[in-house]
Amino acid sequence: MGETFAILIEVFFETLTFWWVIIPTIFLGLIVGGIPGFSAANTIIILMPLTLAMTLQTGLIFMVTLYCSSRMGAGIPAILVNIPGTAGAAATPLDGYPMAKQGKGQQALAISFVSSSIGGLLTTIIALATMPILARVGFYMHSVEMIVVMLFGISLIASIASKDMLKGLIAGFLGLMIGSIGTDVVYATPRATFGFLEFYDGVPLIPALVGLFAVSEAFIIIEKKVIVARGGEVASGNWDSTFEGVRIALSRWWHIIWTSIIGLVIGVIPGAGASIASFVAYQQSRSFSKTPELYGTGHPEGLIAPESANNGVTSGTLVPLLVLGIPGGATAAIMLVVMQFHGVSFGPSLFENQPKVGYGMFMAMAVAYFLMLFTILPLSRYMSRVTTIPTIYLAPMIISFTLVGGFVPREYMFDMYLALGFGVLGYIARRTNYHVAAILIGIILGPLLERYFLLALKKSDGDILTLFSSNLGNVLWVGLVLSLISPIFFNWRRKQQGVAK
Amino acid sequence: MDNNKTQRQLGGELVIPVLAVVFTLYFFSSIWNSPWTAQVSAFAVGGILLLVCGIFIIRCGIWLRRGEASLGFSNLFSREDLHTGRIGLLVTTIGFCVLIEQLGFTLTTFLFLSISMIILAKGKRPVFIAMVSAIMALGGWAVFIWAFDTRFPRGWFETTMKAVLANG
Repeated sequence: MGETFAILIEVFFETLTFWWVIIPTIFLGLIVGGIPGFSAANTIIILMPLTLAMTLQTGLIFMVTLYCSSRMGAGIPAILVNIPGTAGAAATPLDGYPMAKQGKGQQALAISFVSSSIGGLLTTIIALATMPILARVGFYMHSVEMIVVMLFGISLIASIASKDMLKGLIAGFLGLMIGSIGTDVVYATPRATFGFLEFYDGVPLIPALVGLFAVSEAFIIIEKKVIVARGGEVASGNWDSTFEGVRIALSRWWHIIWTSIIGLVIGVIPGAGASIASFVAYQQSRSFSKTPELYGTGHPEGLIAPESANNGVTSGTLVPLLVLGIPGGATAAIMLVVMQFHGVSFGPSLFENQPKVGYGMFMAMAVAYFLMLFTILPLSRYMSRVTTIPTIYLAPMIISFTLVGGFVPREYMFDMYLALGFGVLGYIARRTNYHVAAILIGIILGPLLERYFLLALKKSDGDILTLFSSNLGNVLWVGLVLSLISPIFFNWRRKQQGVAK
Repeated sequence: MDNNKTQRQLGGELVIPVLAVVFTLYFFSSIWNSPWTAQVSAFAVGGILLLVCGIFIIRCGIWLRRGEASLGFSNLFSREDLHTGRIGLLVTTIGFCVLIEQLGFTLTTFLFLSISMIILAKGKRPVFIAMVSAIMALGGWAVFIWAFDTRFPRGWFETTMKAVLANG
């Protein structure tokens, strides 16, 4: 124990000396995270020759920092212009963008940065302390348990559809149907592909994200001169809003802790990822809130939950990678390739044979989050000015750069037209009060839910009762039902108390 | 007249449910003779979607019968769309998607930004707009294509610049 602690301290201070790698990488990560289509994984692949030429320690610090900062960067356009940089930030605009429209963009960014940094830092420390236990989570999460986790995310549709439940359900289930386009996972039978080969792999996520959020938003914002709504605060040009954002975030420290832990646990499950974590955290945050009616109107807790959770995922994905050699996501898979190139062997022996590598990755993450807090926070004052750029310039810029971002992952021109199609769908949805986030949740979770559902049915020879056959699954089912019933109960109790008063 | 203005415009609100029903029926037709693994999830989700859309359409019918709503589309399309330049922006966006394969990222972005900004600004400040568009397009080329070698659509400008830079 004492020896491990000494190694941790040594690695921490050693990592700090790499500030010259960490700080520029933070800014690179912010840029690539903020542009749809430019994920950390893509950037690491592009810079792979550079990474392989670096020493193992420098390469790992570079990759880990890029991973963390891109996660944080994805939240910036989500808050300021309603365009999530990645699917992991898709729940961020639900409350972040209304804050920006009220002229609180600077405050919202500060809340996002503080909750992301503290959430990331905290989960890194928890992951370090509980690594052997967390590593087992992946073994217990089979298809049945995963179905319930997905349903936790999908139940958000009901939450965000509280104004008109039918419209929310139509949007959500339409998303689930769109997400089912492509070949089925067992016999590869093409379904609803309209004859396009490009749909055989399913609906690509980035064009859907770009279209539903960015393109449709660009067509909406041109009605106003600037994004900040009439009557919203005028940017004060001082630091008060940043300090207020920091105060708001720190005063909700308990909220940051438990939502980031949701992210950590979901991050440990291979294949789950930040999008599920952020939706689940948002839904849980709303369910247990004393003011659920404020969610979706620019409520700080609705911003803290997804941002803490998606940064909690970053440390979670490292656990199965280092302890079991199973990457929890695309970026972790690329890290695995680079580490194998340098002759690193994974598994529990990693922490005995090369403790500086194993602990070093977590320390790099901790140092990156620590430095991010101080390097990015001051930028919130200047970044928030985006909301004051006239929309006649902003809208065409959003369309051109995000549509091309839709092209990048697969290099199909088809994907740009698809993004445009989703843009039209998103525009119709926004103008007629259907929630685009509900459509996106369906598209993200639809194929995953189907895969696990089929796996469960295959294993049980088609017996539907298999969904209630595992103890952990049943506990999760109870949790799901409770999280759906509790807001109704609390709402009823508040009304009763109001009547009594 | 005033009554018409306050009425709920259901024509626009019905677009997504109608699209959802048509798409779901098409989906079902594409898996009708497929193995059960391709059908089970789609029939379950699609069935719920059809049910929810059906309830929504019945609700709309009730509102129409009571005279609380009309089948108008003014919440979706209006004269304002021409006035704000939204239709113009849509046309230039389609043009952007069509031309980018031939002209490449930089030239198409410059053209798209210039034309759409001029449309939205109603012809004001064309020189300033041309300068902003040129800076954005060249900035995009410098960062994404020159510095990071990102897989953007390439055209005449990118090929020429590559040759120029390769030959010093």
